[in-house]
Amino acid sequence: MVKVIVRRLVELAVALFLITSATFFLLAAIPGDALSAQTDNLPEAARQRVYAQSGLNKPVLERYATTMTSMLHGNFGESIADPGMTMSKVVHEKLPVSLRLGLQQVLLGIPLGLFFGILAAIYKNTWIDHTVTVLSLLLMSVPSLVLGLLLQSYFGGKLGWFPILGWPEGSQLWFGGWALTILPTVAGALTHVATYARLLKNSMLDILGSDYVQTARAKGVPEYRVVTHHIVRNAAIPVITRLPMTVAFSITGSVFIESIFVIPGIGQYFVQALNNRDVPIVMGETVMLAALYIGSLFLTDLLYMAVDPRIKLYDRKEG
Amino acid sequence: MALPDFAFVTPEQRRAQAAATQVAAPPSIGFWKTAGRKLVHDRMALLWLAVLALIVVLAVVGPWLSGQNANQIHVDLRNAASSSAHWFGTDRLGRDLFTRVCLGIRISLLVALLATAIGTVIGTIYGMLMAFFGGLVDELLLRVLTIFNSLPSLLLTMIIMAVLGSGVGTMLFALAITSWSYAARQARGLVLQLRHKDYVTAALMLDTPLWKLMVRHFVPNMASILILDIGQSIPANIFAEASLSFLGLGIQAPQTSLGILIADGQDQMLQHPLELYIPIAFLVLIVLAFNIFGDSLRDALDPRYQAQGGRS
Repeated sequence: MVKVIVRRLVELAVALFLITSATFFLLAAIPGDALSAQTDNLPEAARQRVYAQSGLNKPVLERYATTMTSMLHGNFGESIADPGMTMSKVVHEKLPVSLRLGLQQVLLGIPLGLFFGILAAIYKNTWIDHTVTVLSLLLMSVPSLVLGLLLQSYFGGKLGWFPILGWPEGSQLWFGGWALTILPTVAGALTHVATYARLLKNSMLDILGSDYVQTARAKGVPEYRVVTHHIVRNAAIPVITRLPMTVAFSITGSVFIESIFVIPGIGQYFVQALNNRDVPIVMGETVMLAALYIGSLFLTDLLYMAVDPRIKLYDRKEG
Repeated sequence: MALPDFAFVTPEQRRAQAAATQVAAPPSIGFWKTAGRKLVHDRMALLWLAVLALIVVLAVVGPWLSGQNANQIHVDLRNAASSSAHWFGTDRLGRDLFTRVCLGIRISLLVALLATAIGTVIGTIYGMLMAFFGGLVDELLLRVLTIFNSLPSLLLTMIIMAVLGSGVGTMLFALAITSWSYAARQARGLVLQLRHKDYVTAALMLDTPLWKLMVRHFVPNMASILILDIGQSIPANIFAEASLSFLGLGIQAPQTSLGILIADGQDQMLQHPLELYIPIAFLVLIVLAFNIFGDSLRDALDPRYQAQGGRS
C-alpha cells in the first residue's frame, strides 16, 4: 500500500518535471521572445543591455538550469511582457477569481446533478427519467464554451437581465457582485449537472436490482431509507472518486468561460502570457496548473483505494 | 417429430427431421451480422446517421452549390440578411456565411477525424506491442504511458499550439499527442487477454510475422471496442479544435473552422445573433449526432448489451 503510493508520487513528480522542462525548451526553441517586439528598433548596445538585464542573452542550458533552480525555491521571476507582475501577484490577484468561479460552478452543478440522477433512477422509465436522460445527453453534447456564448447572447444581450462581461473586484472579490457571476457560473455548472446526473443514475441502476436492496425491502425498511442508506451510499463510489478531477477542471478548465466573459482569472492570463511568449509567467502558471491537475489525480487514486479496498492500483498481472 | 430407435428412416423423414431441428435452433449468426441487424432496426441511430451524412455532404459540395467564394469581401453587403444569393446572409466583412460555414465544417471534421485516426493508430500499435512482448518492455512502456496519462492535456495542447504556431498540421500533432495514451491503454488490456488464445499460439508456431499477427489476429478481435473508442474520440476532438480556434490558438484565418466562425460570431452577437447561432447549431448537431449514434453502436457492438437485447 505505502509502496504503491510512493511509486505513484514518484511517477507524478516525473510528470510534473517533464511538462515543466518540455514547456521551457518549447518556448526557448521558437524564434522571437518576449522582448523582441519592444527592442527590435533599439540601437544594438541598448538592446543588449535590456537582454542582459532579463538574462535572456545567456545560453539555453544555462537559462534552463537557473530557471529550474529558482523555481525549486519558489521564485518564478518577474513577467517580461507585463512588468511588475510576478507569480505571487498572480496567486493573490488572479487565482481567487478562478477559484471562486470554479467553486460556484461545482457547488451549483453537482448537487443539482445528483438530485436529478436520483430522481431519474427512482422513477425509471417514466417521463422524469426520459427528460433527465435526453437533457443530459443534450447538455453533454454542448461544450461549456457554446453554453457560455448562448447564455451571454440571450440573457445578457437580448433580454439584458445580466451584465455581459466582467467580474466583481476589490472588496467583492470573494463575496458579492452576484449579478456578474451568474451567467459564467451557470455556463460551467450545466455540464456538471449533466455528467453527475448520468453518472449517479447509471450507478444506482446497477445497485437497484441487487440482493441486499431486496432484503432491505423485504425486512420492511421504509422506501426512503432504502434509497438513502442502501442504494445511494453504494452508488456514490464513482461520484466521490470523480470529485477531485471535477474541482480541478472547474478551476483550470474555465479558460474558455473566462475568455468569453472577460474574467481576469488564471486561465485568461495564461492564454495572454502564451500569446506574448512571456516565459516566466507561462512557466509559473504551467507549474501551478499542472500541480493542481496532478495533485487531484493523486487524490483520486487515494480515494479509490479508500472507498473500495478491492481496487488495486496498477495490478500488472492482468493477463 | 421423434423417431423410434432402430426404425427404418426414409430420406424424406430424415429431411423433415433436419428441417425440424433447423426451426428449433436457427442458424447461428455472426457477431457483426447481429450488430448490423440491431443497428438497422434502431430508428434513432439511422436518423442521426442520416443527419451526419447530410452534414458531410454539405461540407463537401456546399461551397460549390452556393457558387460563392468564401473569402470574397463585399464591402457594400456587410452583415446582410439571408437572401437568394447568400443563403445564410453575410458576415461583418460581407463574406458569404453559407460557404464559410461549409468550409468550416469541412476543416473541423477533417481535423477531428485525422487526429483521431493518428492517435488511435499510434496508441493501438504501442499498446499491442507492450502487451505482446510483456516483461521489461511492458514495464518500461507502461511507465511512459502512465506519465503521459498524468499530463494535463488542455495545458499541453495550448502550449504546443502557442509554440509551434497555429495551423492544421500543428493542431493534428497537438491533438494526437494528447489522445494516443487512452487507445494504448485499451489495446494493451485487450491484447493481454488475447495473447494466450490457442489461435495466437498456433499463428506463432507457424512463424507468422508480428505485423501479420497484429493485423490478422489482434485488430479484428478488438475491432468492436476500438470502434466505440473512436466514436467517443471524434466529438472530443471536434470540441478541442473549436475551443482552441476560439481562443486564437488553433486554426487561423484565412482558413476557417467552426471555432473561428463562432469567435467571429461573438463579435457580432448583439446586432446579428444569427452569425453566432448558425455555426453553433452545426457544431452541436455534429457532436450530438456522433454521441447518439455512438450510444446505438455500443448497444449493437458491446457483447454485454447485445446479449441483453436492449439498452439499459
